[in-house]
Amino acid sequence: MLRRQFLHLTGLSSTGLLLSGCGASYLADVAGTLTEPFNQKIEELLLKPQTPVPELPISQIEPEQLLINTFGFTPEIDPAKYRLTIDGDVNHPMQLSLNEIYKLPFRSMVIRHVCVEGWAAIVQWGGVPLRELIQLAQPKDGAKYVYFQSADRYYESWDMASCLHPQTLMAYQKNGEPLPIDNGAPLRLAAPIKLGYKQSKWVTRITVRSQLLRNQGYWEDQGYEWFAGL
Amino acid sequence: MTSDSLERQPARLPKLPKQAILAKTFHWINVVSVFIMLTSGLQIYNANPVFGGRQGMHIFPLFTLGGWLAGGRDWHFAAMTLFALNLLWYGVYILVTRRWRHRFVGGNDVKALQVGRSEKRKAYAWHRIIYTAIVPILLLAIFTGIGMYKPAQFYWIVDAFGSWEALRIVHFITVPAVIGFAIAHSLLALKVGGTQLLESMFW
Repeated sequence: MLRRQFLHLTGLSSTGLLLSGCGASYLADVAGTLTEPFNQKIEELLLKPQTPVPELPISQIEPEQLLINTFGFTPEIDPAKYRLTIDGDVNHPMQLSLNEIYKLPFRSMVIRHVCVEGWAAIVQWGGVPLRELIQLAQPKDGAKYVYFQSADRYYESWDMASCLHPQTLMAYQKNGEPLPIDNGAPLRLAAPIKLGYKQSKWVTRITVRSQLLRNQGYWEDQGYEWFAGL
Repeated sequence: MTSDSLERQPARLPKLPKQAILAKTFHWINVVSVFIMLTSGLQIYNANPVFGGRQGMHIFPLFTLGGWLAGGRDWHFAAMTLFALNLLWYGVYILVTRRWRHRFVGGNDVKALQVGRSEKRKAYAWHRIIYTAIVPILLLAIFTGIGMYKPAQFYWIVDAFGSWEALRIVHFITVPAVIGFAIAHSLLALKVGGTQLLESMFW
């Protein structure tokens, strides 16, 4: 009987093999859809929106461990022409040049960058806390989500509490150097409280919204978990 | 308690073993949830093998569940609550009913192995040692798993293992540990009580 159960269950995974993921992914979707709302509640409860995650010493930075993951191509952006657009449900939509962004409050942190694939790297990021930008734009009442559009057409959406976390940065510095293009120059998201796929590179537009749209993120729309909190 | 009578009269195990309904319930949920945790965990493993990274050896797809990384994570996070809460209520249950005193390994088993003469009693002692030892391994899987699931909120779990890589390796090692246990546990149960004991735990 145990054996039959075993064969039945492995049947599910070999089905996945035969259908190159379709069958198994469908069942996984069902399992995910049934349990993710509960798990997300737990994740939101665990997040301490104002408490910084303990940072690590500079000596522990692991430059070799940070792998480059990109879904498509690497966009070349002219820093002089670059503008960051902040719009949506805000009282003061704006466009900022890099020089204007560099003048905003700077924060540096050494944190663990954790990838959904299972690897992690200790990285130093420097940049402007996202909450400075959001406060400048003054979100309207009921603004609960923030969308990020990237130059390579990658898109992401975050919950507002995570965006206002003191260690959620729009970073332009990595390991003490100007941010390399492969890591998202001129401006990328960096935070210790979300998985790597939430941390968009080459961000060009930040849009505050009161609701989540059907498109929630490049990977989320293919089945990845939306909250992805750490 | 019953331990003394077992020591003296090992041959008098009940002819038709019976298990408490709650013990069977725990066992079933544990078998199914651990199976999902193992196979979906190996699916996640394949996204970036613990040993060797992307160039490392991948797990054969037959042993994985979910089809791809997101599917594996869906299963892993769907089953984790079931797996952990099942262990939790069972822990409360064996404490309240004091089953832990006579249903798990005790001094009498050690004595049986050291000075006992009955081979059957010795096998029984091994059986109890093995199924008691799996409990801390299952708890370790949960502990390291929480550390990997929420390393920012539970940074002290990562710190306790020294590094992310060490935490990953310990979490992964619970997989061969559980598989080895499942084999040893089944064989010992067969040796100690035959198919009757085996069946009694399931139906």
